[in-house]
Parts: sequence; structure tokens; C-alpha cells
Amino acid sequence: MSISRNIFRVTLGLFVGGLVSAFLGYWFAEGALREKVAETRVRQGTIRAMALADLVFAEQSRAEKEKTAPGALIQFWQQRHNDVDAVRVMRLSGARLLASSFNDDLENGTPPRRLKRSEKEIYDLGQLLRANVDTNREEGNPREPEVISEELRNGRLRVSVPWFTAKNPEKAAGYVQLEVSPTITTRELAFWPVLVLALVPAFLFFIGSLILSRLVKLEHPESVLWSAMTTSVLLMIFCLLGFGNYYLIDLGQENVRFQQELAQLYTASRTSAEEGAAEFALDYETTYTNDWDVNAYRQPLRYISFDGELYIGVGTAQDTVANRLGMAFFGCSLLAIGLLVFFGLGGAARFWHIIVDYREAYIYTLPAMTGMLVLVFFPFGYGILLSFTDQTLYNTEKPLLDIWAGLNNYIEIIGDFNLIQTTEAGWSFNYQNFYWTLFITVAWTVVNVSIGVTIGLILALLLNNKNLRFKALYRGLLILPWATPNYVTALIWKGLFNREYGPINHTIQLFGGEPVAWFDSVFTSFLTGITVNGWLSFPFMMVICLGGLQSISSDMYEAARLDGANRWQQFRYITLPSLKPTLIPAVILSVVWTFNMFNVIYLVSGGEPGGSNEILITKAYKLAFQDYRYGYSAAYSTVIFLILLIYGVFQTKVSRAMESNA
Amino acid sequence: MSRKIKDESSPILIHVVLITFTAMTIYPLLWVLTIAFSGKQSLAIALLPENPTVWDRLRAIIPFPETVSLANFIEVITEKNFLVWMGNSAIVATLTTLLGVFLSCTAAYAFSRFKFPGQRAGLMSFLVSQMFPGTLMMVPLYIIVVQWLNLGNTFWGLILVYSTIAIPFCVWMLKGYFDTIPIEIEESAIMDGASRTVIFFRIILPLAKPAISVTALFSFMAGWNEFIIASLLMEEEKMYTAPVGLKFFVGEHATQWGSFAAGSIIVSVPVVLLFMYTQKYLVSGLTAGSVKG
Amino acid sequence: MIQNRIKRLMVLCVLACCMSAPLAATELVVWHAYRGAEKEAFQAVCDQFSAQSDGVTVKTLAVPYDAYADKITAAVPRGKGPDVFIFAQDRLGGWIEAGNTVEPIDFYVDDEMRERFLDNTLDALTYRDIIYGLPLNFKCIALIYNKKMIDSPPKTSAELVALAKKHTNAEAGRYGLAYAYADFFFHAALMNGFNGGVFAPGPRPTLNRPENVKSVELILKWSKQDGILPAEPSNALITSLFNKGKAAMIFNGPWFLGEIDPSVDYALAPLPALDEAGGNPMKPWMTIEGVYVAAPSENKDAAFDLVNYLTGAEAGKVMALKGRQLPANKAVYQLEEVKKDPIMQAFVTQSKVAVPMPNLAEMSMFWSPATTAMNTIIRGTATPKDALDKAQVQVEKAVAKLRKQ
Repeated sequence: MSISRNIFRVTLGLFVGGLVSAFLGYWFAEGALREKVAETRVRQGTIRAMALADLVFAEQSRAEKEKTAPGALIQFWQQRHNDVDAVRVMRLSGARLLASSFNDDLENGTPPRRLKRSEKEIYDLGQLLRANVDTNREEGNPREPEVISEELRNGRLRVSVPWFTAKNPEKAAGYVQLEVSPTITTRELAFWPVLVLALVPAFLFFIGSLILSRLVKLEHPESVLWSAMTTSVLLMIFCLLGFGNYYLIDLGQENVRFQQELAQLYTASRTSAEEGAAEFALDYETTYTNDWDVNAYRQPLRYISFDGELYIGVGTAQDTVANRLGMAFFGCSLLAIGLLVFFGLGGAARFWHIIVDYREAYIYTLPAMTGMLVLVFFPFGYGILLSFTDQTLYNTEKPLLDIWAGLNNYIEIIGDFNLIQTTEAGWSFNYQNFYWTLFITVAWTVVNVSIGVTIGLILALLLNNKNLRFKALYRGLLILPWATPNYVTALIWKGLFNREYGPINHTIQLFGGEPVAWFDSVFTSFLTGITVNGWLSFPFMMVICLGGLQSISSDMYEAARLDGANRWQQFRYITLPSLKPTLIPAVILSVVWTFNMFNVIYLVSGGEPGGSNEILITKAYKLAFQDYRYGYSAAYSTVIFLILLIYGVFQTKVSRAMESNA
Repeated sequence: MSRKIKDESSPILIHVVLITFTAMTIYPLLWVLTIAFSGKQSLAIALLPENPTVWDRLRAIIPFPETVSLANFIEVITEKNFLVWMGNSAIVATLTTLLGVFLSCTAAYAFSRFKFPGQRAGLMSFLVSQMFPGTLMMVPLYIIVVQWLNLGNTFWGLILVYSTIAIPFCVWMLKGYFDTIPIEIEESAIMDGASRTVIFFRIILPLAKPAISVTALFSFMAGWNEFIIASLLMEEEKMYTAPVGLKFFVGEHATQWGSFAAGSIIVSVPVVLLFMYTQKYLVSGLTAGSVKG
Repeated sequence: MIQNRIKRLMVLCVLACCMSAPLAATELVVWHAYRGAEKEAFQAVCDQFSAQSDGVTVKTLAVPYDAYADKITAAVPRGKGPDVFIFAQDRLGGWIEAGNTVEPIDFYVDDEMRERFLDNTLDALTYRDIIYGLPLNFKCIALIYNKKMIDSPPKTSAELVALAKKHTNAEAGRYGLAYAYADFFFHAALMNGFNGGVFAPGPRPTLNRPENVKSVELILKWSKQDGILPAEPSNALITSLFNKGKAAMIFNGPWFLGEIDPSVDYALAPLPALDEAGGNPMKPWMTIEGVYVAAPSENKDAAFDLVNYLTGAEAGKVMALKGRQLPANKAVYQLEEVKKDPIMQAFVTQSKVAVPMPNLAEMSMFWSPATTAMNTIIRGTATPKDALDKAQVQVEKAVAKLRKQ
């Protein structure tokens, strides 16, 4: 009986794993093909546009007298190329539309003419391209697109490239925009491999095991599980390999075909450009250029030679789309095998039973968990994802995969041991270094929490006196720092510490001391933070301790006194141990809160002097909002999180160990 | 006998220590009061005259305005919309409290009463959620609340966010408290044929009143003092909360300290009152919550 | 019966509403961070626009300054923001680079429009040679002096020092001159006076250029050698000193005027020229509040009309007289009421030599290292050259990390 159950499970695993990975893989393969087609189409449009831009260049570089509007030129270009539907040539100076065959433009008046108010977008695109060209040139590192393409709803493509003049070959004078109906298409992706992967392994396995079980009688049916698992995994891998390879090869073949078509297109463009140059008597040097086939930054791709031949290897090697698809398939395979193992070993069944058996508990936790999941853990996961990228202000619109940085951010943070600076004057700490900030943060947390706990405990002990008068009043007043908004009180504290007029320095002077410039040295500045945060946080600890103290039965003290224990011994052996269960969760939480206490540092010392009193959280904030390095800042946050996580796990382990000892 | 021993530490000494601590605690707050009642907008700075005497120095450290005036308070209260904002804050904080307490009660009850797989991990995940720095999560939060949930410019958006901020602490505290409620009570109720839901609402919740008031206070504060998210999500001035209104007194170059201080006192009053009211519960609530059964 | 009547009444009401409201009314949403008189003046101007234009109404939203930039960054690129918003130029570069926040309006701006603004103000809102907003109001620091102590304001730095020395008695806490010289925003007046600057054309940091070093050395001379400045010049201290008549002259901006005690009789003058820099005037940094059209706005045309109106002379007049702001529109200063106003005239004179603060995103990286450098220099723990070198390295590093893609 159990043999067939195992077989059933493995079969189900093969089916589910195959089904999920097949659909996912198909989705990826289709996406990759679509991406490849889109990429090729853009190249088609770009070649056409760049070639025309060269003609416009030649035309507009002529002497002022010979210059004509390029209306005839674009007409010629459109006649020569069936795929070109409409052309627009725009010049920035004077905001002029030099020539156009767009219907909208013609309705607004025949070019050449000045752009109308409603045609702002036409002008803005020119300015954008001009600015992008300038930026890339000035920074010597292309980051802004110089070829802008846009896919239209009707399947057409709009490609805009800047044109230049001989007078100023570095500054874009305007742009040429083409609306193209791309001729490059692709066929439907074959669907049958999906069905094969979903059904065949499961079917084969099931039939095979049926036959086997008829032929062989096993003494220990359970032992068959492992061999069944191994067989099924091998079967799965085999099928996955076939599946992946089919689509990868398919993509490669399509790619080669695309390149060939592009090469033909390129040759055609060159021929007509030469003819056009002759017809319009343009001084047009085509012989040396091969830079119509360019990427978005107008950098030549050099896949196609000047004669329209493909360079060897184009279409197979170095194809990012194919590489990415390969990686996606690898991921799908892992998923498939994971599902197979999960189902095959009975994990899914167990999982289901757990959900059903404990549904009441899950229902009770569900609302809170959902809220946390959506509003806390989701942004949190996004932050962690971001930490593996190089996202900055300048590339926020790029997909995260394109700016993937792996562990670079973490290496930069943790691998920087440049803790000490040596100058002519001597050596000093490098306050920008991660380890310095970590040291300060740990010191800050340890000191703050100790102070909070100590003061809180002392006050609680004092207030825990049944006969004390004005107890409620004391308690009420001592709780105030917790109740008032801390962004107000933190600023007041900053004023109290001012060197010239701060009451603290006045007090020091009252007793004949010298005023202290609190924010000028690392230590005193640290002290200010500690004071403010201690002031803010002791009420919480006091309340917790007060509560804890009241739960201790007075019998214990009585007994201790009878045994002759003194006050210290009573405190040491009764009060403290009884407080432990109260204090430990509170301490853990307050360590976490203090570690990430942004307001106090930010508002009081601001990390002065020289960023030495920065803690990790304020540093992460600065990295994001001053240096605009979002990925790096996210990595900083993740490091903070990991440190706290390690602390939390360690602390709970220790306290649990102590509990079980007790 | 025992009373005698307790009295051996001098109450005067205790009072001296307590008075010192209390004085140090409220000193900065007295400056807030001083600025608020000064009737001026600048920080109250006592400049010392030439060759200051001890008295001059003493005057400089005593927080008391040169002239007492209610002008700042009047300015804040008569500020257009300020009372509306206080009302909004009250609505948001109250509903945050209700929602936050309800969500944490149910979750904490499950963590306390049921044994289920993922229990420890679940409880830990609430703690873990406090560990990731929240300052950088504004834009994702905005996207979720405004774009996905479509709760921009509504109180519900704010209430949801504030409740989730408060939940982790509340769950931990409540779970501890529920642990101390003897399970026998429930068992006998089950014998009588009561369902879990009935037990939860009729027996557990009333018993946990003290702990609930603690978490309520905490949730209330989470919703009452926050201003960044509130100003991020609201698209009409009428929808702002009081802390947002308060922040209007802080400009790019100059801060109206007087109004800011007066406003923050006004804003703090409800919290302090609530605090005073729940003090009794607070102490006993936290006590029981922490003692593990 | 009654229910029926109520229903009918409601239908009538709805009908009436529909008929009275103009068809397809456009509502423009404007965000700003004004409060008090400035807010009232701005509201009045927006109402005027609504009244003037057919079918366009303006709805304003004030946002607290502390949350304002974050709100724009979060909301506008997601299409949830306003049609028009107002912000100083310091964030402009960042928003443009982030994309889909600020609409270029270069195309709308003709020569006549360019001419209507005070010199330099439009430059502040121009990024990569594209105009992104029109200047609304400007702010810069000028010399504010106590008339009881100073008869005629100093024209040169030599006069300034001489006059200040006369009124300084550090023992008694009296200073001839007080301003937040450790704050780079204020120090920029000296720095620019020496023709220094913090970024070369483009985002190349030049914190340690010799002109900057010279300007910091001059500050050191004023505070240490001449002793005319208080030691730790925070804004609160300067306010107190001036209000108590213990500071004869201060450098501060229009935002400070509201904090001056009514008992103090003060006047304004342009900052003096620097003998040390060959008679160059001190050139403070100027912040310009720009009015921008939000990139995702669906009513860009109407939005620009509003921008145009807000920065016009009519609106400028209201903001100058009612809001006590300093409009960037030149024509405002030709009005009789404004001509008579010595405060406005002083700031406008000052603006002629003022330099717009750079609008590069990289400016945010400069503040913290620059503040550290100024503090160490004033404390005397580092020479101006060393401190600025160190800050330069830090800013260079941050800039390089950002612009590497």
C-alpha cells in the first residue's frame, strides 16, 4: 500500500514540478523572444534614422545660401523605404520644424515653420536629446540615452536621433524622428515542449513504476522511496535539459535570422543614402562610417560590417538576452526539482495537514500577520533586494536586474578597513569608516540601555515603597519625557547644550567652571546624545521595573530577612532574578530601538564633530538622502538588520538557556 | 516587624533623591513651557551682562519667561484648521488604538494559547520587524498605501500604517500577559460548551484589561505623535493631523519657537491625561505581562 | 410624501449645481510650503487667477517644510501629485535626474518672459540649458544694522571691521558684527566675493580652490585677530544679541525680520565690498523659489498659465505687499509702494550681485563635509587649507560614486 502512495506522491511531484516550471519557462522564453524582437526592431528603426540623420547633417552643413529645407530629402527617404511611415526633422534654434510628413504636423501648417504652442512635446524631445548628448560628453561616461525609441500602440516604432552640423559636430542641433513599421517579425513560440515537460516525466515514471511493481515484489516497500526519488530527479533533469535547450536553440536561430535581416536593411540604407547624396548634391562621406547600427548611447555595436556582412559569432556569443534566459531556466529547474522533492517526500501533504490541523491558530494570527506582511515585510524585502543593486539617483528608472551589483555593496561596507588616517599632523580615526560607526553605535546602545535600565530600576525601587507619599505625583512627572513628542524635546536639549547661552554651561560657570563646547569633541558630543536619550528612555524602563517589582511576593523578602540576608543580598538574590523575565524582553526591544534611534542623533548632535558621532542608522540616512546612493544605503540598512538579528537570536538563546537552568 | 525594617531607610533621603531626579527630568520641559509662555517666537536666551553676578547666572538657568503671555497659545488655537487637525488626530489615534489592540490581541492569544508550527518564528518575526530601519522605507510605503491599496488621503491609510507600527510591541506584551492567565479557566469553559471565540471575547479579553490598556496607550502614542507619514499621505489641509499642523511652525530658514512650543504642549496634553488615567493599569498591566507562568 | 418631496428637492439641487458649474472645469492643484502672511498672499493670488480664468480653479495645499521634499519625491513621479508646485532650486537637479517630476517649460518661455525677472534668477531654475521653472521669490542675506549704533552702513570690509571694532566688547558680550559664519550658506557671501565656489562648471567639486581658502582665512582674521565676531554663532544667539542691542550689525535674510524685537530700530544695506578681494562685493548665495509644472500633470497648458500668472507683475505685487515676500519679477520694484520700502530695495540691490546657489543634485553631498571643515577651522584644529582639502576629498569621493554609471 505504502509503495503506491510513495509512487503517487512522486508522480504528483513530477507533474506539479514539470507543470509549474514548464509554464514559467515558457513565459520566460516568450519574454526573451519578445525582448529580442523589440531590440532588433529598435535597431532597424535606428539604422534608418541614423542614416537619414547623416543626410540631414550633410544638408544642414551646407553654406547658408545653398541650404534648403529637408522636405524633399525626407520624401525621398520615405519613398526608398517602405517601412518608414513618417518623418520629422526638427531644429532647436528657433524651435523650428524643418520638415515633416506627420499628419498632425501638416494640419498645423506646412513646414518649415516655427513650432506651435501645442507642439511642446516635439520641442522638449529635442532639448532632452541635446542635453543628454552634452551630459554624456561632459562626463565622458554615457548614462543618458541619445537614441530614444518608443513603441506605439499600433505596433509601430518611433525612433529619434540627434543630428549635428559640421560647424558644431558635438552639439546636437536638432533631431530626426522616424515612425517605422518594423518588418522584422517572429513566429509563435512552439507550445508543445510545455506539454511534454508537464506530462511526460510523470507519465513515464508512473507507468514505469506500475510495470516494475508488477514484476518485482519488494520486501521493504519503504526503501523504494529513495530509489524512486533518485530516478524521478534524474528523469526530471533530463526533461528540463531538453526543454531548456529547445528554447535556447530556437532563440539563437531566430537571433541569427534577425541579424541577417538587419544586415540587408543596413545595405539598403547605405545604397539609398549614397543615391540620395548624389541626387541632392550633398557632400556626403559614407565610405568610412559604419555607425548607424548603434545602441541607445549612440555607441556603434559593430555587429555588421560596412559591406553588410555579419561578423563571425554574432547572434550566439555575448547575447545578454540568451544569457538571462539561460539563468531563468536554471532557476526554473531548481524550482521544479524543489517541488518534486517537496511533493515526493511528502512535504506537501504534511504542509497541508499542518494548515488544516492548526487552522484556528493561523486564523487568529492572520490579520496581524497580513498587516505586517504588506506594510512592513514587503518594503523590508524590497530594501534587501535593493541592497544587491547599484541604484542611485541617476538610474532609478532602470530595472533592478540591469543594475545588479551582487555583493559589491556589502564588500564595500565590510571590506573597508581604512580605519586610521595618517596625515602630516599625525594620525586620526577615519570617522567615515564603517567600523568606527559600528563601534560608536554599539557603545551608544550599550551605554544607553545600561543607563536606562539602571536609572529606571533605581527609581522603580525607590517608588516601590507602599508608604511613600506623593508617589503618584512622582510617577506622573517622571513619565513625562516619554509622553511629549521627542522632536520638540530633542531640540530643546540641543539648546541646553549650547556653549554660549546654554543653561548647562551657565550652571558650570555658576560653580566657577569653564564653559564646555559640547559638540566640539567626540567624547562630549557623545555625552550629549547619551544624556538626551537616557532622559527620553528611562521612563519606559522605570515603568517596566515598577511592574516587575510589584509581582514579587513580600513573603520572599520576609523569608530572606529571617535567614539574615542584608539589603544587598535581598536585591541580588531575590529582586534581580524575579525581574529578569520582565526585563529581558524589554531590554531586547530597547536595544533594537536604541540601535536605530534616529531622531536624537540627528536633532541633537547631528553626528558632530566631523561625523564621528554618527550611528549606523543616521549614516544610512545620509547615504540615501545626501549621497543619493540608494542601493548602498539599503545595504547599510541590511547590515544593521543582520547585526540586530544576530543579537536577537543570541539574546533569546541565552535567556532561554538561563530559564531552563533556573 | 516588617514595617519597622522598611522604615529604616530614611524617607527623607528617598524624597531628596526622587526630587532631584524629578527636577532633572522636568527641567527641559520647563524650558518648553517658558518658551511657550514667553509670547515671543525666539528661543529664550538669557544673555549675561558685563561681569555677571551669581544672581545673573542663576537667572539665566532658571526657566521662567521675562514676560508671561498667552499670545503663543492663542495664535496656535486660532490658527485656521488647528482644531480640525486635533479632531483628526483624535479620530486617527483612537481608531489606531482600536485596530492595533484588536489585531495584537488576536495574534497574541494565538501565540499564547495554541501550540502550532511556526509559532516561535512568528513571534520572532514581530521582533525582527523592529530591526530594519524604517527611515528609508517611505517611498515603498507610499507606493503600497497610495498606489496599491488606494488609501491616499484617507484616515484608513494612516490608521493601517500606525497600527502595524504598534503591533510588534503590543503582541509581545500581550502574549506575556495571556501566558499568566490560568488555562484552567478556559478548559472549564470548553467543558461547558463555549467556543473559542466566545472564550476569547468573554473571558480572556476582560481578564486582560490591564495589559490591554498598556497596549492601547502605546498604540495611541504611535498614532498621535507621528507627522511624516501623515503629511506624506494626506492631500488636503483638512485631513492633516495635529503633529503635521505643529510642523508648520518650523520653516526652511526660521522656526517660530514660541508657537511650536505652545502647540506641542497643547498636543501633549491629551497624551498626558491618558497617561495619568492609565497609570494604575499600566503598572499592574506590565507586571503581569512580564511574569511567565 | 415628505420623502418624495425631499427626493425632488435633491434632484432640483443636483440639476441646479450641474447647470451653474461650467462644463469640464479644470482644477489645478498647487503645493507650497508657505504659512502665515505668505500663505494668505499666495492664496489671494491663486484666487485671483481662478477668478480671471474661465473654468480653471486653483486648489492649494500647504505642506510642512520638513516633509515637503519627501512628499514631492514620493508622490509626483507616481502621478499622485499636484499640477504645479513651488520649491527652492536646491532640489531641482535631483528631481530632474530622478525623472518624471519636473516638466521642462523652456518651450513656453519667450524672450519677453526671460526679461521680466531679476538677473540670475532664471539661471537658478535652468538645468543642462533647459528651463524647468519660473522664479517666484528670491531670498538672500544682506546687512542688517542697529540704527542707534550705526549711522551709515559700511561700504567696504575695512570700514566694516573698523566700525565693528568700535562696538565690540567681548567681555560684556557685545559684538560689532554677528552672523552664522560657520554655516557655509552664510559664508558663501565671502567665498563668492573672492570669486570662489564649490562646484566648477558641472558637478566637479572645487571646495579647496585658493579663492575659497582665502575667504576662510579672512573669516579667521575677523573672528580671531579682530575679534569682532562671537565665538559660537548660532542663529538663536544672533537673534538674541541683535534684539538686546548687543550686536551692531548682522548678516541675515528676510526670514529674520520677523524675529526682530519691535523695540530695535534697524535698517538694511547691501553687504560691503571686500578690500581683500580687490574691491569685489560680497556675493551671498541666493535661493530662488521656482514654480514648476509637475511632469505627470494632465493640464500642463493650464498649469503653465498659472505659473506665468504667479510670476507676473500683478501677482508679484500682492506677494510683495501682502506677503512681504521678495518677488523675482523686476516690475514689482518699480511700483511706488515698493519703491518706498527701504527693506525691499535693500534686498533687491543685494540680489544684483548675489549668486544663485547651485541647483546640482550633488549640492547635498557638500553640506556636511563643508560644515565639518568650517567647524574645525574655527575651532583652530586645522588650517583652512587642510580642512578644505579634506572636505574636498570627501565630496569628490561621494560625487564619483554617484556619477559612475
